[in-house]
Amino acid sequence: MKTVFKSLAAGLVLGLSSFCFAEVAVIVHPSSAVTSLSEDDIARLFLGKAKSFPGGGAAVPVNQTEGSAARDKFNEGICKKNASQYKAYWSQLVFTGKGTPPKDAGDDVAVKALVAANPTMIGYIDSSAVDASVKVVFKLP
Amino acid sequence: MSLINKVHKKQSLALAIASVMLMPVAQAADVDVSGFISVGGGMVDDETSVSYDGYSEEDLTFDRNLLGLQVTGQVSEKITATAQLLARSEKEYDVTAEWAYLAWQASDNGKVRAGRLRTPLYMYSDSLDVGYSYPWISAPNEVYYLPFNNVDGVDYYLTAALGSFDTSFQVYYGSFDSDFSFEDGTEGYASLRNQTGVVGTLGKDWWNLRAAYHQVDLTVDINSAALAGLVDQISNSPFASIVPAVAVEDDKATFAELGINIDTGLFVATAEHVEFEVKDSLLAKNVRDYVMVGVRLGDFLVHVTGSKADDEIADLTSGIPVSPQTQPIIDGLNAVAQARDVDREVLSLGTRWDVASGTALKLQLDDVDDAAGEQKVLSVALQAVF
Repeated sequence: MKTVFKSLAAGLVLGLSSFCFAEVAVIVHPSSAVTSLSEDDIARLFLGKAKSFPGGGAAVPVNQTEGSAARDKFNEGICKKNASQYKAYWSQLVFTGKGTPPKDAGDDVAVKALVAANPTMIGYIDSSAVDASVKVVFKLP
Repeated sequence: MSLINKVHKKQSLALAIASVMLMPVAQAADVDVSGFISVGGGMVDDETSVSYDGYSEEDLTFDRNLLGLQVTGQVSEKITATAQLLARSEKEYDVTAEWAYLAWQASDNGKVRAGRLRTPLYMYSDSLDVGYSYPWISAPNEVYYLPFNNVDGVDYYLTAALGSFDTSFQVYYGSFDSDFSFEDGTEGYASLRNQTGVVGTLGKDWWNLRAAYHQVDLTVDINSAALAGLVDQISNSPFASIVPAVAVEDDKATFAELGINIDTGLFVATAEHVEFEVKDSLLAKNVRDYVMVGVRLGDFLVHVTGSKADDEIADLTSGIPVSPQTQPIIDGLNAVAQARDVDREVLSLGTRWDVASGTALKLQLDDVDDAAGEQKVLSVALQAVF
């Protein structure tokens, strides 16, 4: 019985830790002049309040598809909005011509491939998926 | 009749633009289609008392439905064309173009638009038809009461970061003609000329302030036999000179708004105060406000709203000496001024449940205390964006 509890507890800790420590990395093209961005800078780009990087140069943000863990974590941590608040925020802008939300580009792999191929794009992926094809400009713990 | 034709012509022009834009949907990748829908209805507590928000029956009726479709096409790198078409059950699902404009991205943060635009009167004017974008089923009636929400003209919209604050600035110029109804159901026809306004917002992640000022040269024909008779009577009296101070004929109208919006994720609050005044006319000065506070718990939002219309009746009789002969004119003037006065307080309790991403189910109970009577309204709606 004790061991059952122990393994349950261990499983719970493991489960929690994998949930808590899944870092989200904000990524750009390796050739981008941008080396790091603040939370505010990133939020502005993804909420349509800015269209270029702080140092200049057009920025095209891309989202992961709705329902992905990285997207929920990114929206809560950076944009300070849960999934439905995020949707409501954009519905105020889309139907007024004041903004268009970032395109839903798929999962970690799809977003990484897009960003690796487009010098103007900025996206976010689980840090475990980061490799040399992209440059990390912010980490959301 | 010619006026009606004109309205239809404009409408069909907008429809033509929209259908031309819809055609290439299949081929072009640069056309975005999005839409919103609201289905719902409501019932009142007492049919013999005043109606409110269009509800007057004690039986629940599901007759408040709306479907909107927006098409945006990329004309060139910096220019887009947008049309928003709306079909409402109250208008027999006749399709109208609420927006139809060309937008030019003049700079990174500045945009110029020309065509039929939404008049930026209120905080939620832009997304007024998109119920999903706000907590209520429909925005508070006492404040969101002006019959015109569109203008044909041009605007300039600029967003900027000031330190860690986000600001926006909008200025527009245009005109509009339309049939309309006053809040008491009296119908009329209005011409708005030289309409212009400025809007500024200042915000940071969880709060936003808004201020707006608009002015317009307003002419209103009110369909009222009693009013026409009274004007005739005054024109043939020694007081004919006061007619211009009664009729709404090329009079300067001003509209001012102040608003605040707070959303911390857990707590939500919005308040707006508006004042609308038409100098030298029988129209009352409208003084309106509301305050909404709410708590968001997971996918549920519970909110309470108090809203109030506290109009100031126009004084039309100051130039007329009181005598038995003038009494009928004085009584008549007081009556027509009184008819444009709204005094009402409404307390609303509402919930919003985000059933799924992009879909919200809302319930609302309004307790209405009007100078003309009391009423309770229960309404329900399912609202979505796609």
